[in-house]
Amino acid sequence: MDSDVFAQLVVFTQQVANGLANGMGYVLIAVGLTLVFGVLRIVNFAHGEFYMLGAYFTYYVTALAGIDYLGALVLATLAVAAIGIVANQFFFRPLRKEHEFTILLSSLGLALLMANGAEYVFGADPKYVPTRYADETLEIGPVVVTQQRVLVIAVAFAMIAATYWFIRHTRMGKMMQATAQNPEGAQLTGINTGFVHAYTFAFACGLAALSGALVGPTAMLTHTVGDWAVLKGFIVVVMGGLGSVTGALFGGILLGVAESLGGGYVSLGFKDAIGYAIIILVLLWRPQGLFSAGSGRR
Amino acid sequence: MTAAPRMRALGAVAALAVLPWLTGNAFLQHMMVLWAIYALLALSLNIIVGYLGELSFGHAAFFGIGAYTSALLSMQWGVPVWLGPFLGAIVAGAFGLVIGFVALRIVGPQFAILTLGFGAILHTITNYWVDLTRGPMGISNIPPFSLGPIALDFAQARNMYYVALVFLLGVAYVCHALMTSRRGRAFIAVRENPALAASIGIDVFATKLHGFVVATAIAGAGGALYGHYLRVITPELMSLQYVAALIIMVIVGGKGTIVGPLIGALVYVSLLEMLRAAGPLRLVVFAALLTACVIFLPGGLVSLWRRLRERRLAPEPAGASA
Repeated sequence: MDSDVFAQLVVFTQQVANGLANGMGYVLIAVGLTLVFGVLRIVNFAHGEFYMLGAYFTYYVTALAGIDYLGALVLATLAVAAIGIVANQFFFRPLRKEHEFTILLSSLGLALLMANGAEYVFGADPKYVPTRYADETLEIGPVVVTQQRVLVIAVAFAMIAATYWFIRHTRMGKMMQATAQNPEGAQLTGINTGFVHAYTFAFACGLAALSGALVGPTAMLTHTVGDWAVLKGFIVVVMGGLGSVTGALFGGILLGVAESLGGGYVSLGFKDAIGYAIIILVLLWRPQGLFSAGSGRR
Repeated sequence: MTAAPRMRALGAVAALAVLPWLTGNAFLQHMMVLWAIYALLALSLNIIVGYLGELSFGHAAFFGIGAYTSALLSMQWGVPVWLGPFLGAIVAGAFGLVIGFVALRIVGPQFAILTLGFGAILHTITNYWVDLTRGPMGISNIPPFSLGPIALDFAQARNMYYVALVFLLGVAYVCHALMTSRRGRAFIAVRENPALAASIGIDVFATKLHGFVVATAIAGAGGALYGHYLRVITPELMSLQYVAALIIMVIVGGKGTIVGPLIGALVYVSLLEMLRAAGPLRLVVFAALLTACVIFLPGGLVSLWRRLRERRLAPEPAGASA
């Protein structure tokens, strides 16, 4: 075999591996976004800010409190989930009966509040989340992946599997499904939909924070990272179909790999535009998403 | 228009016309110019948000297109600066036509996400097409408007204010005329109930596209005014920060009215300066203002006045003064 072709194949596989790690980070963001849309009917523009908080909390817990990275990951996830309960209580619960337009604006307000509040509290200088896995690598033949990326992929897959199982087989998961399908019907059967809403929202925020804690160390951390995260989440959710967990999984992997390959072979500068081009095509061609049978058009 | 509102409108125009003579402070006059330009932009977004009832997250991109079009035409092809706002409007409106033609097939939150995507693509292209736009460096030394030998830059803020005011009043009049016309009533019908509007013979898609193109063209003209006044533009004009600023002006002032966006722009420009010392906290205040308005005052600041007046006129039958 020609060594040139082999080298190109290695580069290609390397790009796909890196894209897979980024993509799994997107999946964690998007699953929360899609759950919040499915159960609460909220398009949450502030979702990326919980990713940002997850990354910052991990930074402070490891760098300042000196707790191990994996412990910090868990602490950050739980803390942000708790903040999610508060955010839902003040920004979304009072607007439950309002037009979707009003709710979207409220979430925009929350996003601006959190992003700018983060600049005020955490400062504008970029931070680097320390992790002992960033410098260690895993070699699979000629392909080299940092252990941090392997960790992202493994934890994200485990978490998505757990979420899937949770929604299908637990009492709470079934209550979430019922609330998503028919809120009034769910209330009639005795489900406290307010509690289900709060639970779902907190769960989604926790997933976003976990993504921030995992992916945060692979890049520079600033207070504007939430904008980036929510845009990626939107792209994935639109690709997979609003409200579909499976769609979010495939959409996230597809976006991560497409960006990685586009950045490697076309142009690094336009890497971010690939995602937007994808959502424009998807919304026009299949507004309900690539992986969803439901209707997205009203 | 009946006599009383017409008098009130004329009074407001007269007050705006003498405003810059009340102060010799060049900085305050500069703020007035900024207000007039932002008010123009807020009025344009209000056509989409207030009249058509759709939320656009990409409006700043059209502002940027107008600014870049006018700056590049005047600097590279020597097109007269005074044609800038009109050419900026034409080019931004053309982009609005294409993007609106595509995006308006979708409604609700998906439309907001789609416009966000289009806006972000335009922002990215402006940032990376360095040969044309000079990328993140931006364009500087843009020629200002001029009256004979006098250049209307910062030093001539008072005169520039009148230029911006003429455009602002023109746009405010267009909005007023539009909303009292048959087409304006069609906008409201489409906003309130698209299915019902379609059933009485309104072409919902064409109506929305009309509003969207007008709104984007006005934003383009505003961009040209901004570029030739500040004389420096960067791709930041198309960023989410400006999208959020425009949305804050429209919502805080009061969507669906003409006075609302003007008040919203005033609140934005004055708070921006008053809170300059507060640093990052400033944007937190804006965000809190937006959220508070969305939750507690959905009609914006103008609705406060209406509420007070209704309380005073409570004994009269409702709607008598409308």
